Amino acid sequence: MAVYKRTYKGYSGTLTPKWSRFLILPRYSYSRLFKSKFLLLFDLACLIYPLGCVAYIYLAHNLSFLRAFGARAGMLSVDADFFLTYCSFQGGMAYLMTAFVGPSLVSPDLANNALPLFLCRPFSRTEYVMGRMSVLLFLLSTVTWVPGLILFGVQWSLAGWQWARDNWWIAGALFIGSLIWIVVLSLIGMAMSAWVKWKVLAGTLIIAIFIAGAGFGAAINAVMRTRYGLLINLTQVIATVWRKLFRLSADTGIDLMNAWIALGVACAICLWLLTRKVRAFEVVK
Amino acid sequence: MTPKFPSANFRTWRLQIAAVIRLEMKKTFFAKRGLWVYLLALAPVLLFMGRAIDLMRTSETRQEMASAHPVSSEVLGKIRPSMNEDEPGMTIDDVIKKAGEPYARRAFYAGRGRRGRTQIVSMSYTDQQDDYTFTFVDGELVGVNRREHPNLQQDTLIFATVFQFFYLRLAIFFGCVGIFMNLFRGEMIDKSLHFYLLAPIRREVLLVGKYLAGLAATVVIFTTSTALQLWMLLLPYDASAYLHGAGWHHIFAYLGVTALACLGYGSVFLAAGLLVRNPIIPAATVLLWESANLFLPAALKKISVIFYLQSLCPVVAPPEKDMNPLLALLISSAEATRPAWAITGLVALTLVILVVASMRARKLEINYGTD
Amino acid sequence: MPAPPPIEQSLVVLEDISRFYGEVLGVNRVTLSIPPGITSLVGPNGSGKTTLMNLITGLVRPTRGSISVLGVAPTDPERLFRLLGYSTQFDSFPKGLTGFQFIYSFLRLFGYEHAECERLAWKSIERVNLVEPAKRKVAGYSKGMRQRIKLAQAIAHDPRVLVLDEPLNGLDPLVRAETIALFRELAAEGRHVIVSSHILHEVDMISDQVILMSNGYVVAEGKIQGVRDEISDQPMQVLIRCNRPAALASKVFDEASVVEARLHADGGGLLIKTRDANRFYRLLNHIALNGIEIESVAPVDDNVNSVYEYLIGGEESK
Repeated sequence: MAVYKRTYKGYSGTLTPKWSRFLILPRYSYSRLFKSKFLLLFDLACLIYPLGCVAYIYLAHNLSFLRAFGARAGMLSVDADFFLTYCSFQGGMAYLMTAFVGPSLVSPDLANNALPLFLCRPFSRTEYVMGRMSVLLFLLSTVTWVPGLILFGVQWSLAGWQWARDNWWIAGALFIGSLIWIVVLSLIGMAMSAWVKWKVLAGTLIIAIFIAGAGFGAAINAVMRTRYGLLINLTQVIATVWRKLFRLSADTGIDLMNAWIALGVACAICLWLLTRKVRAFEVVK
Repeated sequence: MTPKFPSANFRTWRLQIAAVIRLEMKKTFFAKRGLWVYLLALAPVLLFMGRAIDLMRTSETRQEMASAHPVSSEVLGKIRPSMNEDEPGMTIDDVIKKAGEPYARRAFYAGRGRRGRTQIVSMSYTDQQDDYTFTFVDGELVGVNRREHPNLQQDTLIFATVFQFFYLRLAIFFGCVGIFMNLFRGEMIDKSLHFYLLAPIRREVLLVGKYLAGLAATVVIFTTSTALQLWMLLLPYDASAYLHGAGWHHIFAYLGVTALACLGYGSVFLAAGLLVRNPIIPAATVLLWESANLFLPAALKKISVIFYLQSLCPVVAPPEKDMNPLLALLISSAEATRPAWAITGLVALTLVILVVASMRARKLEINYGTD
Repeated sequence: MPAPPPIEQSLVVLEDISRFYGEVLGVNRVTLSIPPGITSLVGPNGSGKTTLMNLITGLVRPTRGSISVLGVAPTDPERLFRLLGYSTQFDSFPKGLTGFQFIYSFLRLFGYEHAECERLAWKSIERVNLVEPAKRKVAGYSKGMRQRIKLAQAIAHDPRVLVLDEPLNGLDPLVRAETIALFRELAAEGRHVIVSSHILHEVDMISDQVILMSNGYVVAEGKIQGVRDEISDQPMQVLIRCNRPAALASKVFDEASVVEARLHADGGGLLIKTRDANRFYRLLNHIALNGIEIESVAPVDDNVNSVYEYLIGGEESK
């Protein structure tokens, strides 16, 4: 075509809002993830415990049931302890889900050299990480605080407005406690997925961090005759935070301030790993 | 000039295995992605190093204190709080009269409100063997805390516990997962396995070469770690009596168990990488099985690598003090296997697994999908 | 197992080879005997060229049929890869190695001693003109350099059979010409050089025979002129340059085998389509004696491009 014609013009129509563009990434992640029957079944299995809790709450308010078993009203209590147990159990399921889902987020892009394809568009690394992480944030929310708040609602509806007024803070504890755990798990899942190109190895590392971390923490306590080893045991650390949020005695052996610092350090390390690995280029020396 | 091909015989296989090991060394020993394996091996070394430094430092301090404030263990052993509510306990002056001035004394006040504040005083003594801390509330002795100084016998038990419950089951386990699974499955991910399959090398020879490369790497990394841990363990003590006794036997036993663990777990994960597309499942299965080994009946205990490894450990690790009583009830014991049988069993198991893996390797095809 | 007949020890033989990936067809019922020289595998993407090469080299196993490379089965890698070198399509390399180390390390797998490996490695590096970058890491190479180092690795042990999957990919024109010259040199030594390529005019230039593939089937094989002659449903196109193309056109129309005659745009030639090229050439001799000065006669579609278009292009457009 002769140069003088120059009929090309750039796109001048409306653009989608910049803040929401990172949401394009999860679209394809969800469709890929839910093709896996195993994950679908696991997702459903995560809802079994909350359903059991609903039944428990109902029975706790069902006087005829209590009388039939010779139990007094109030014997099956739905209190902070109940919701803490819920948090702990579902937190464990969230950890397993991270080990299954986390590795498939960044590793395949690294293995197939797809990062430059994303990052050569007007799309920042932060948006990329947020897009991928939002998958985990959503999935883990569906198994933690979302059913938890529903449970709170069920208890509220059966116990009445007075109970809700006295215990509104439990809902807050559920939400904040779950959110903290979700963020920590998501960062760990993303960091391990970015650190190794192989999904399977990333999954192994996610599992190893918790299991080997707990084991090494116990080793530190045994060798150094201290309790600071518990700070490497992330499940104990988050249990400390949860117990404080639910206003229960924190007898985990960890000071609350130290627990927050441990969580902060874990998140910082994960962010550093992500900064190092999520790049559009590779330096060969 | 057309090269003359060496004839296919044991000499050629030896050269080829050496070539495979040479190729793998860079990837297994010096790869950045393998850094976490080094961290797993280094972590317990740093732990024992920290302990050694702490012990040596406190030992010097304790000796200085004991020299400045000498008191016998007999005297300290006799200082007790009153068991009778009507009988008043010993006062601070009583204790000082018997045992002399303490090497450390702390006082603080607790409580508030109408009851007023309570004075709490703690005084520390040492007889070079143990530390005694006497606690006084409002001047009356209410408690005695006796803390044994670390000794080599205790520390060997601690080492046995750390070795068997953390190092073998977790550190070496995950280290072997990372290194051995990478040998074949990792090459497929990197799309570089075909270079090996396009060389005039039998698949079985290739498998042996890769296995030996992984074994060399894990044995070097983890036995070095074990040796350093033992060195750090013995450093704060005068270990000549221990070494003249069972010491060297213990050291070589631990090093041998470490090497055998790499041998056994290595073969399992090499085979898992070849046989299964997603090796995390067999790895998780083996981990669960080995973790549950303590609670399995005697017959099932023997179907695991960890049982034989623990049979070969020179010191039996005591069960965890803080273990849930229910779990403690479930722990069953099984008669330990004789060392010769344990080693033979492990080696035989390794060979069987490698044979099965080599049969799979013969049928290996290159199909680099998205793994 | 009895030794194959002597003729088969100079051929790459595929007998009724099929390979399925589940329900997806890789190649189906392929029977070929590939002699020494440069043989080009030509076909669109997904036609089965790489699958065929992988079958020959044992990287995949056939679902059915048998393969013999100079009398050696692909299930015998110890013997096969002393005779065969394969430059694959995969653009990935073992991590952390320089170009020299890459070739040297895999030569050690042959069981050669250090000195021999060094000599062979440098020899192959020199052949592909990568001496200077040889000490740099392969990960830092350009696309063309990576292509050449793969080629160097394939030829390092002086194989009798070379299988090269798109070896000219990413090469600049100068290097491409040098590489083609290398292929000719290797073929002239009596080796089998099996090349797959999409660059049809180069295939035309270098190949002694071609194998055309489409949808997992071999559509045609042999020397290009022979293949063209067998495509009877497509009349041969001949361009005749002469001083009086219009007069020539009127004379050739009398010939029954001529189906079309078209004046060339520059007015100095005539494009003829004929069903019988040999008969037409005899006619031309007669016409030339009758006052029309014929400058040149050249078949226009006697090349890989045209054959490809007739045999495969038609299928694709369906």
